[in-house]
Amino acid sequence: MSGEKLLVVKDLTTTFATLAGPLPAVGGISFDLATNETLGIVGESGSGKTVLARTIMGLQPRTNVTVTGSVLLDGHQVVGASEDEMRRLWGTEVAMIFQDPMTSLNPVMRVGRQIDETLRVRMGMSRRDARARAIELLELVGIPSPERRYRAFPGQLSGGMRQRIVIATALACSPKLLLADEPTTGLDVTIQAQILNLLDELKESLHMSVVLVTHDLGVVATRTSKIVVMYAGRVVEMGSTRDVFAHHRMPYTRALLESSPKITSPSHTRLATIPGRPPNLLQLTQGCSFAPRCAYASDRCREERPELEATAEPGHLFACWNPLAHDREAVTL
Amino acid sequence: MTEPLLKVRDLVVTFGHGLHCVSAVAGISFDIYEGETLGLVGESGCGKSTTGRALMRIVEPSQGTVEFEGTDVTKLKGGVLRNARTRMQMIFQDPISSLNPRRRVKDIVAEPLDCWKSVKGAQRDLIVSDLLSKVGIDPEVYGNRYARQFSGGQCQRISIARSLAMRPKLLICDEMVSALDVSIQAQILNLLADLKAEYGLTLLFIAHDLAVVKNVSDRVAVMYLGKICEVGPSDTLYDAPAHPYTKFLLGAALEADPDSPIHGEVLQGEPPSPMNPPSGCRFRTRCPFATEKCANEEPLLREIAPGHQVACHYPLTVTSR
Repeated sequence: MSGEKLLVVKDLTTTFATLAGPLPAVGGISFDLATNETLGIVGESGSGKTVLARTIMGLQPRTNVTVTGSVLLDGHQVVGASEDEMRRLWGTEVAMIFQDPMTSLNPVMRVGRQIDETLRVRMGMSRRDARARAIELLELVGIPSPERRYRAFPGQLSGGMRQRIVIATALACSPKLLLADEPTTGLDVTIQAQILNLLDELKESLHMSVVLVTHDLGVVATRTSKIVVMYAGRVVEMGSTRDVFAHHRMPYTRALLESSPKITSPSHTRLATIPGRPPNLLQLTQGCSFAPRCAYASDRCREERPELEATAEPGHLFACWNPLAHDREAVTL
Repeated sequence: MTEPLLKVRDLVVTFGHGLHCVSAVAGISFDIYEGETLGLVGESGCGKSTTGRALMRIVEPSQGTVEFEGTDVTKLKGGVLRNARTRMQMIFQDPISSLNPRRRVKDIVAEPLDCWKSVKGAQRDLIVSDLLSKVGIDPEVYGNRYARQFSGGQCQRISIARSLAMRPKLLICDEMVSALDVSIQAQILNLLADLKAEYGLTLLFIAHDLAVVKNVSDRVAVMYLGKICEVGPSDTLYDAPAHPYTKFLLGAALEADPDSPIHGEVLQGEPPSPMNPPSGCRFRTRCPFATEKCANEEPLLREIAPGHQVACHYPLTVTSR
């Protein structure tokens, strides 16, 4: 099935009109995703990963936002689609899980009814059928005594349980693509492991594709087949998970990997740091956005933006004028 | 070994009354020696933050003693308590909300000095400039700016400068890097290590991130539902956890390495409510090794190796790990 592309994103830009001028939150991104594949989008806060996910979902407001490029979702064009057209795709083609399960559930509505709602509105099910299906879904996402939980309010459930409810709602109409925006941020590690395992199992059993948006490299390392690394609204490196972790060429990818503490390294290991902080998107320069923080930056980096460039490994691309060699020893960044 | 700097014995913190009371911290004891960093890890709701706050008497301990430099902090009142607090300072999780957005950075850092009127005039300004440059904020450029003009990482630097103004012995860091991006987190952790060496600080580092805690700590204590289940030197505890909960917690932590094995055994269920904790061992409801003894008898912390204590009737041995 790998030849079939479920999602094709081409030259996608999302620009917000602000009082201080246009803000390019997503600046020209292309990638594709096959059926039954999991893609990880990683980056720090403000790198545009959530805006990218919301744009693919067609959730950007119609005013003050300019979206150009193309997002082909199972043959349907999302960019420029009206809300009515999007409504036909939401649920059955694409569904989204948001970070905070408390704010994405209605606190004064029983959770069962929130799952029912989707089924009744989108699938035209009767109240009785919807209830039966909702209980099935609750069981599918591993909620104990689903009949009882069906009548619970979100506030009566723990964070992990709420996230399971959100997943059940997203899966109600069997979407082909599931966008998960930081699905486990804010959950405890043991609960995070449960939710990630659940998403993995569901992906396999329901033949979905999953886009996992996260800032946590640990989350994407073992759960995805492909990774897109974002910095200041652009893709700086993408490729198979293995290539990106083992043979990254872009200095930012390495810096990101090296600055997170490892559980396997001895205590008091000095961490590699990236000096400075991410750029202001309103004041992007001509050159590479990472140049001001990069140890390898040259004049060319500051003047001319590098485009994504292919490597020997298929699908592995990077945007850098002074890429790291595979075997180069780690240099303090 | 010498006398510990901080000696906590049977600390209990209870919220509420009667039927609705919750023991967020249910009788814990630990020591922190001068110059070391003790990490305190656990999942949300285990009582780790409450422990930190009880040491500072931000929340009142219901029982137990907290001996700091030989005096019991729980018995202090008024001015004596305020004086003791100058030698134990706290850094909070959310750097932005722990600074007043409408005050200038140099005034925020000088606040503790002004409160105590210990130094004035040029000397005060000198101390403030020195503290700001120590944490990597240029006092010339940024000293007169308002706290609201800074990013999360910079605000955390300012918080650190403020906490060091009174030259404390003990610094309690409550989830101080959890709200920061990894690249900023690494900067702050390195800064903390440098300042610890320079000022001879002793740290209680409270966090949920296991990798971060290991990185900064000499010893680590693991909490579950208001109790400490294991304490040991960081490397030993991470390499050879003796409490089943520690083992599961470490197993669930994700390593940024595609070749790391996906741990088959994931801890099932969720922590029980602290309002109605299980009898005996508090972890027994989720523990695959639990027996009747665990339900009837509460395991106490006992030493299984020098410096390595565990509260479990059936600690994991080297072979069963």
